Amino acid sequence: MNELIPLMVIVPMIAALLLSAFSKFDKVIKVLAFVVAFCLPIIPLVSNYGLHYFGGYQPVLEPITNMTYHPAITYSFNFMQQIFIAIIGLLTFLVIFIYLTKYKKVSGPYLFLVFMGTAAVTALILTDDIFNMFVFFEILALAQVGIVAASSIDYSYEMALKYMILGSIGSPIMLLGIGFLLALTGSVNITDIVLAIRSGIVNFKSPVFLISLGLIFFGWLYASGLPPFHTIKSGIYSKAEPHGAALLQSFTVISMISIVLILFRVYSVLPIFEVLIVLFSVLAMILGVSLALTQTDFRRMIGFLAVGELGFIGLGIGLGTQFSITAGLFQALNEIVITALLFIGFGAIVNATNEVDTRKLGGLLAYHPKVSIMLLIGGLAMAGVPPLSGFQSKLMLVQASLSCGYPELSILAIMVSIATFVVFVKTFYSMFLRPKPHDLDVVTKDVPRAMIFAMAVLLIIVIAFGLFPDVVTNGISQYVGGMIH
Amino acid sequence: MKLYDQIFNVVKTFKKLFSPGPVTNADVSGSITSEIFLIVSLLMSALLLRHLSILLTGLVLLILAVVLITNIPLIPKFKIEQEDSLEKMLFYAIVTLGIIVAFMYWGGNFV
Repeated sequence: MNELIPLMVIVPMIAALLLSAFSKFDKVIKVLAFVVAFCLPIIPLVSNYGLHYFGGYQPVLEPITNMTYHPAITYSFNFMQQIFIAIIGLLTFLVIFIYLTKYKKVSGPYLFLVFMGTAAVTALILTDDIFNMFVFFEILALAQVGIVAASSIDYSYEMALKYMILGSIGSPIMLLGIGFLLALTGSVNITDIVLAIRSGIVNFKSPVFLISLGLIFFGWLYASGLPPFHTIKSGIYSKAEPHGAALLQSFTVISMISIVLILFRVYSVLPIFEVLIVLFSVLAMILGVSLALTQTDFRRMIGFLAVGELGFIGLGIGLGTQFSITAGLFQALNEIVITALLFIGFGAIVNATNEVDTRKLGGLLAYHPKVSIMLLIGGLAMAGVPPLSGFQSKLMLVQASLSCGYPELSILAIMVSIATFVVFVKTFYSMFLRPKPHDLDVVTKDVPRAMIFAMAVLLIIVIAFGLFPDVVTNGISQYVGGMIH
Repeated sequence: MKLYDQIFNVVKTFKKLFSPGPVTNADVSGSITSEIFLIVSLLMSALLLRHLSILLTGLVLLILAVVLITNIPLIPKFKIEQEDSLEKMLFYAIVTLGIIVAFMYWGGNFV
C-alpha cells in the first residue's frame, strides 16, 4: 500500500484547501476537520514501508558510471518516519479537537494553517529531495507565522512579523546553500548527492561545498530555533494559543530533525559538521535553561525550556554514532509529547485564571487537581525523572556522550536536567502549592474536558515510552544504522 | 548573604524595567541558580577544548572563570541582550552567520 505514502501529505493539504474554501459553512468544516484529523494518525500506521516516486519516474541506471539516479521527487517511508508522522497526526487531532470544542464558530483560515503546517512537516520528514524540503520548509514557516498571528494574545502580530522578518534572512541563505550544492553535484536528490560525494565525484574539501554547509546550517538554526533564534522561537510559543503552541513546538522539532538528518547524510564526511552541531546544541541548552529560570511568564518559561530541550536532540545527532543519533531522535519524540502536554496544561490554567504571571498565581491545586497532577508528571518527565520517557532518552544521551569520550557533555546534560527540574519545581510551587493570592479570580472552575482528554492521552504516551522504550528505540536504531553505514 | 543581597538589588532594578511587580524569594533564588548554572556550564563547555590543546583549555578556563566571576550578576546582562527587540535579534543572527562562515573558512583547513 505504498500509495498511502503521498496521501500522508496530500490528505491534510486538500483538507486545508477545502476548509478554507468552505469556511462559511460552520458545521461542514467542523465535521470535515474532525474526520480528517482523526484519519491523520491512522494513515501512517496502516501504510507499508517503502519508497514513492512522484510521477512514476523510477530510478535510472547510468551505464557508463554504473550509478543509479533518481529523476523523481522521492518520498521514503520507514519506521522512523512512521512513528513521527503518527505522533504529529495524533497531536494535530488533539489540537483540532480542543479547538473545535473551545469555539462555537470556528475559523476556516485557522484550520487551513494547522492542516497546512501538518502537511508541510509530514513532507519534510518524508522527502528525499533537498529542494522539496526547502519548499515545505517555507510553507511551514508561513503556516507558523499565521498560527501565531491568528491568536488573540496581545502583541501576537508583532511577534509573528518579527519571526517572518528573521525568516527572510534564514530562508534565502538556506536556498543559496542548496543552490551551491546543486551547482556542485548536479542533483537535488539527496541519495544522488550522497553518492556523488562518497564516490569522489565531488571534492568534499572544495570551498563551495564547505560554504554550502555553512549556509544550509544557518537556515537549519532558524528552522530549529537554536541560538541566535532561540529568543524569537520562545517568543512565538508564548504568543500563540496554548494548543497552537503545542503544535508549533512539534513543527519545530520535526523540521529540526528532518533537516539535520539530511545535513548529516550529506555533510557527515566533514568532521567540522559534528563540531558545529554540538557547539550550537550546547549553547541552546545553556541559554534556554538559564533564561527559563528567570522567567515569570510561564508560557515563555516553557518556550525557553523547549529550546533547551532541542539542545539535547542536537547533542545526540552531533555525537554522530548509531546509539547517540537514536537517543537524539528518541529525545525528539519525547519532547514533542511532553512539551505539548505542558503547553496544553498551562493553557488550561490561563483559561481558568486569565493570568500568566507566576507571581500572581497560587493555590490552584485545590481548584484543578487533575490538571496539576498531570502537569507535575509532565514536568518531571521533561526534567528526566524515572521511569518517565524523558529519563530514558536523557539516560541514553548521557551514556552516548560518555562512550564517545566526552564526559563533560554528560555532566552538562545532567546539569541541564537538574536546572530544568528546578525551573519546574519553582513554577509548580508558585502556581499550585503556595496560598492563593487574595486578588486572584479563578474565572471558570471547570477546565475544558477536551484539554483534560488531550493531556491524559499524552500522559499515557509519556508513561508508555518510559516503561517500554525499546518499542521505539529498536526501530529507530535500525533506521539510523541503515542511514550511517 | 552578600551575593544574595547583590542579586536581590539587581533583580529589583530589572523587575522595574521588564515586569513590574513584587520581588519574591523565588525570583531571587531563580536568579542565583541561573547565575551559578551559567558560570559552571560555560566552564564545563570550555573543557571541551582539551580535545584541541590542553594548554589552550587551561588558559581559556582561567580567563573565562575570572571574567565570569568578576562580572556577576551575569543573567540581567544576558537578559538585556536577549530581549524581544528585532534589532538585537537581527544583529545576533548576522553575527552568527559571520561566525559560521569564519568557522568554515579556517575550520575547513582541519578537515
